[in-house]
This record gives sequence, C-alpha cells and structure tokens, in this order.
Amino acid sequence: MMFFLELIICFIATVGFGVIFSVPRRALLLGGGIGVIAYTVLNTGLYLDASPVFSTAAASLTAALFAHLLARIIRIPVTTLAIPGILPLVPGSRAYFTMLAFVDGEYLTGLEYGVETMLRAGAIAAGLVFALAVFSFGKGVGHRYETNR
Amino acid sequence: MGKADQVMDICLLAGEIMLTYGAETYRVEETLERMAKASSFKNVHCFATTTGIFLSFEEEGKEDLMQMVRIDDRLQDLNKVTEVNQVSREYVNHELDTEEAHEKLKAIAESPVPYPLWLIHLSAGIAGSGFALLFGGAWPDLFPAFLAAVLTSVTVVEFERYLKVRFAAEFAAAFLGGSLAIALVFFGIGDNVNQIIIGSLMPLVPGVPLTNAVRDLMSGDLVAGVSRGAEALLTALSIASGVAFAISLFL
Repeated sequence: MMFFLELIICFIATVGFGVIFSVPRRALLLGGGIGVIAYTVLNTGLYLDASPVFSTAAASLTAALFAHLLARIIRIPVTTLAIPGILPLVPGSRAYFTMLAFVDGEYLTGLEYGVETMLRAGAIAAGLVFALAVFSFGKGVGHRYETNR
Repeated sequence: MGKADQVMDICLLAGEIMLTYGAETYRVEETLERMAKASSFKNVHCFATTTGIFLSFEEEGKEDLMQMVRIDDRLQDLNKVTEVNQVSREYVNHELDTEEAHEKLKAIAESPVPYPLWLIHLSAGIAGSGFALLFGGAWPDLFPAFLAAVLTSVTVVEFERYLKVRFAAEFAAAFLGGSLAIALVFFGIGDNVNQIIIGSLMPLVPGVPLTNAVRDLMSGDLVAGVSRGAEALLTALSIASGVAFAISLFL
C-alpha cells in the first residue's frame, strides 16, 4: 500500500520536473509515467537484493527504451521524455551525504559516498547509452575498423 | 536577398533556438543539414558545439556560402526545441516555404515560456517535497521541503534575471534553500533536516546538460559532450558549495 502511495508521489514529482524543464504539454503525463516505471524497476531491483548500481542501470535502460519508443510514436525529441524519466534515479541523496561528510572532515566516508554517487550516475549514463544503441541500429558512429568494406 | 541567404538565415535561426534552449548537438547538426539539403543545396556541412554553430553549403553554379552564429545563453525550455523540430520537419517535407518557416521560427524565438512563472515555482515546490519524501523523509517533512524548494526556485530565477551570473545564482539558491530548511527544522517544522535539504535542492539538478552530455559524447560530438559535462559539473559543484556554506554556518 505504501509503495503505491510512493508511486503516486513519484508521478506527481516527475510531472513537476517536467514543468520546470518546460516539457510540452502533450508529453508531460507520459514523462511522469516513464518516471514511475523507472522508480518501480529501481525498487524491484533493490527488493530482489540486486546492487543499487545494477538496479539503477536496469531502471535507466527501461526508462530510456520507453522514452525512445514513445518519442517515435508522438514525434517529439527523445530528451523531452528521457530527462523527466531518469530524474527519480538521480542519486541526490548520496551526493548530499558526500558533501556533508566532506564538510564534517570525514574524508574516508565522503570518498565512499562519492564513489557510489559517481557509479550511480555512470549507471544512468550506461542505461541511456544502451537504449540509444538499440534505437540507432546501423547508423551510429564507428570507431575501430571499417568492417563493411 | 537571394534564396541562399534566406535559407542560411532560417537554418541558423532554427539552430540558434534549438541550441540555446537545450537540444543535443547532434540534433542541431542533423536538422540544419536536412533543411539545407531539402532546399536543394549541395556540399552541406554543419558543425555545432555548445557555444556556436557553423553552416556551409554550395549554391548551384556559385561559390560556397558559410556563416556562423555564436550562442551566448544556454537556457532550458524543451517546448521550443520540440516546436522547432516540428517546423523543420514540415519544411523538409515541403509543407512550408521559406517565408512561412521564417515567420514561424521568429514567432517561436519570441514566444515566452509555455508555463507561467508561478506554475514553475509551484511545481518546483511539489517536485522538491515529493523527492524529499521518496529519499526517506516522513510526512511532516512535506511542507518545509515545499517551502524551501519554492524559495530555491524563486531565488535562482530572480537572481539570474538581474545579475546574469549563472553559477552565482545557483550558489545563492542552494545557500538560501538550505538555510530556510535548517531554520524551519530549528523552529520545529519538519523532522529530518537532511531529507528536507535534499528536496529543496532537487529543482537545481542540471538534468538537461547531463543528459545531453551523455548523448553528445556517444554520437561522436566530443567537444560538445565534454563542454556540456563540464557545465553540469560546475552546476553540481556550485550547488554543493552553496549548501555546504549554509550547513557550516548554521548547523
């Protein structure tokens, strides 16, 4: 029951973020929905004892996939959906405790929290990148060899 | 004015709007190249970074034409990006001619933010208090987090309106929001000071530059990606130092 309440709060908060970033009206509620999906995946992962970094990556990947899919359907830039969608995953709490530990002079604790913050941020990025790789199949930017020659 | 000049104007106007209001670099380059090609110019090249756009193309039987624009402001208004996207799509499909596209782009450039300012402050409060709760706060923290997040949002907007120094605005907003949160808890409104402060800072999260930095780096726009990442990092650092200042003063 409490979890459903959290989902509703997450939806409202994500829509609020949509307004802050001036997301167009027709995409506001969709962005909120993607945020709720991301939050659900994150908490399911944590509930199943997966590591926070892995859960964040899975949630970010799911959110980004939905964002790409819906953006194709209603023909708007992906960012308008992806930015509100990944916001519930932002490690704001970890970042804050990192700062707090450094202010208190507890550098080791601060480094611990700081590394976790960076890893979670990296996990969000990884999810976005994988979704991008799926949706730009065959037209991305090559790097090593021209294998088609 | 020749056709080439006109097309150059609408392309650069479209690019300027998109880049200013938070589009990814790859989207700007692709849109501009498509628009120029749809106007049957050859040898189209576009290079965009976070702070400027270069566009060159060749008119049939004449020399190459090249212009650049410098982007000074980087604001967040994803609605404008979407609208320019729509205009460029219609232009490429030849549903709009050059004149109409120019009119529409000008209207977009001059239009205000789609939501009134009070609604933005209100939703900053709602988002901030919601996240204070999701990050482990309790119900009594909802109201103080709302107030502190509204103060943060108002400060960052009003500070930027008059002083135009972005990172100082974020520093001041984080400082005032954190101070208000500490003061409210001191007077017995709300329990968890940490969660309230986190909630009040959430409206400042640099979501647009962060997401765009990842996207730009992955599509091979290395210069743009690194500079956007630096921008997001600077914002994060100014928020952290602002709230650290408040905490070491008052807590």
